Amino acid sequence: MANEMTSASSQSRVVVCSWGTSGGVEELLTLGRSVANGLGATFGWVVLGPAPHDVTEIASRHDVPIVDHLEEPNLQSFGGDVAVAALAAYAREHEFRVLLVPQTFDARVLAPRLAARIDAGVVMNGLGVAIEGGKIAVTASAFGGDTRVVYELGEGRFIVGVSTASLGAEAAQKPASAIIRHCPVDVASVSERVQVVTRSEAGGPRIEEADILVAGGRGLGDKANYRLVEELAAALGGMAAASRPIVDEGWAEPARQVGLTGKITRPQLYIAAGISGASQHMVGCAAAKTLVAINRDPDAAIFRYARYGIVGDCLEILPALTRAVKG
Amino acid sequence: MSLRIIVCAKEVLDPDAVNNYALEGKLVIGDDGKSLTQSSIPRLMNAYDEQAIEAALRIREAGTACTITVVSIGEGQDILKHAASLGIDEPVAIQADPATLDHHGVAKLLAAFVQSRGGADLVLCGRQASDDDQGVVPALLAEHLGLPVVTIARSVDVTSAGDGFGVRVVRVTPDGDETVAVAAPAIVTISNELGQARYPTMAGRMAARKKKITTVAAADLGVAADGLRPRVTLAKQFVPTVKSACEVIPGTADEAAAALIARLRAEQVLRNEPEPARARSKDSGA
Repeated sequence: MANEMTSASSQSRVVVCSWGTSGGVEELLTLGRSVANGLGATFGWVVLGPAPHDVTEIASRHDVPIVDHLEEPNLQSFGGDVAVAALAAYAREHEFRVLLVPQTFDARVLAPRLAARIDAGVVMNGLGVAIEGGKIAVTASAFGGDTRVVYELGEGRFIVGVSTASLGAEAAQKPASAIIRHCPVDVASVSERVQVVTRSEAGGPRIEEADILVAGGRGLGDKANYRLVEELAAALGGMAAASRPIVDEGWAEPARQVGLTGKITRPQLYIAAGISGASQHMVGCAAAKTLVAINRDPDAAIFRYARYGIVGDCLEILPALTRAVKG
Repeated sequence: MSLRIIVCAKEVLDPDAVNNYALEGKLVIGDDGKSLTQSSIPRLMNAYDEQAIEAALRIREAGTACTITVVSIGEGQDILKHAASLGIDEPVAIQADPATLDHHGVAKLLAAFVQSRGGADLVLCGRQASDDDQGVVPALLAEHLGLPVVTIARSVDVTSAGDGFGVRVVRVTPDGDETVAVAAPAIVTISNELGQARYPTMAGRMAARKKKITTVAAADLGVAADGLRPRVTLAKQFVPTVKSACEVIPGTADEAAAALIARLRAEQVLRNEPEPARARSKDSGA
């Protein structure tokens, strides 16, 4: 089967591209498989950088016959010069119609850079990909989540960035046995033009991975009241998060910001306190399994998205919730 | 030697007005099924691009001699007058209809413009446009020009380095701030963390009236019409429907809180015992 994957099948291959152990891969493989099926195309997966330890199992579960693994000691990030060069080299050897990338922070740079490098079209913020009358249609969010747009892809190759938070993962009906193919790429002559002087301090848990989030917004009224959010989060064994306005005000650290210009989260439980529910914020928490809204304004947009709501002052409700949890 | 800065700016529909209409359920999609047609929605400069201009002005104020050019695709746009009123040196309109271009086309025109000026030391762009949120043009432009790109900047500082310039950028990453260095020429995208962009002064407004907007025909940039044919086309636009199923829990703060926690436990969203106690007993048992 490996030998078939040459330029002969060029226009009919769908490939998922992921970086190391970045999240959302199984969701993207599920989507990629359905796109491949819709196009009658073969399906592949290319992993850049260190592969997940269970890469073979994941590939088998999603009916990916061959995983192409690109590993290179100089690879530092998904968006850097070496990564772009490595994938461009790969793309010259291996044809595809659509390359799907999970829309991580780095992928937002990688996807368009690679697209320009290999003369492919590019669409980001994808929420879904469908085949309509033989054409590929990408649904994406626009206007900070206020609208959805559907882009139609023309001829040639495309790179599509997909926000995986809203996708589900489902194993293939007929899992296959997968093999890992190591793909050498010659990027020895490429070095990063952008030098990192001071790295961000990654340490500690990340809100993207939290099961329970308690997020505070302007309704807190004052920086000192952010403590109430942190106390409830601690009582629930979760993490504190924040809306952009209060991060801009300096009430909470940027690493806690949820939304379009912050982080996309998908917790089991999201409690939004004093947050109005602007689309830009909802982009980052709409995938929560259960959303609870606390707001003084019964007409606040956040209630439209919530499963449960409490209309009231979050300065009273937050401590009451903390007491109720502690029992 | 003065630093040549080119800022790329886009005219967008005011996202706040779009947001208000969307929330009220009154956003109108035109007969073509994709355009937002309400004439009451103002057209203005993408706010991130305003912040890119602000970043350029701050570099000048920090002591680096600069020429600041602001370029936009389209004709008859007020955003270039706005740019002129902020004290930039030259506003430039590339004559082409942005509605007929995809992002590749936009990047090709901008790249051709930068090259027509003999290059730039620093190209500044907003991190994304607040209409389509795609954020791909700066990276496409970087590749077309063969330049490095640094995204999502909170601050940009320029220093003289030998006979050129060095650029130091503080980026806002998901893990916190990161400082990077790159040699000019380079492209940097500016994020809202840069802070509020300035408003034009009265003197700036007066001066802008006399400032002529340079117009450049797309054909004069040597970009073949063929190369501008879009590969990605907008087919549809709609307002997503939210299935509201919110159950409002009544009572005093304590009553509502207790009822909510009980409900979340019953649905096993939360465990059936106080969370810290569970964590403690597990830890001690292990």
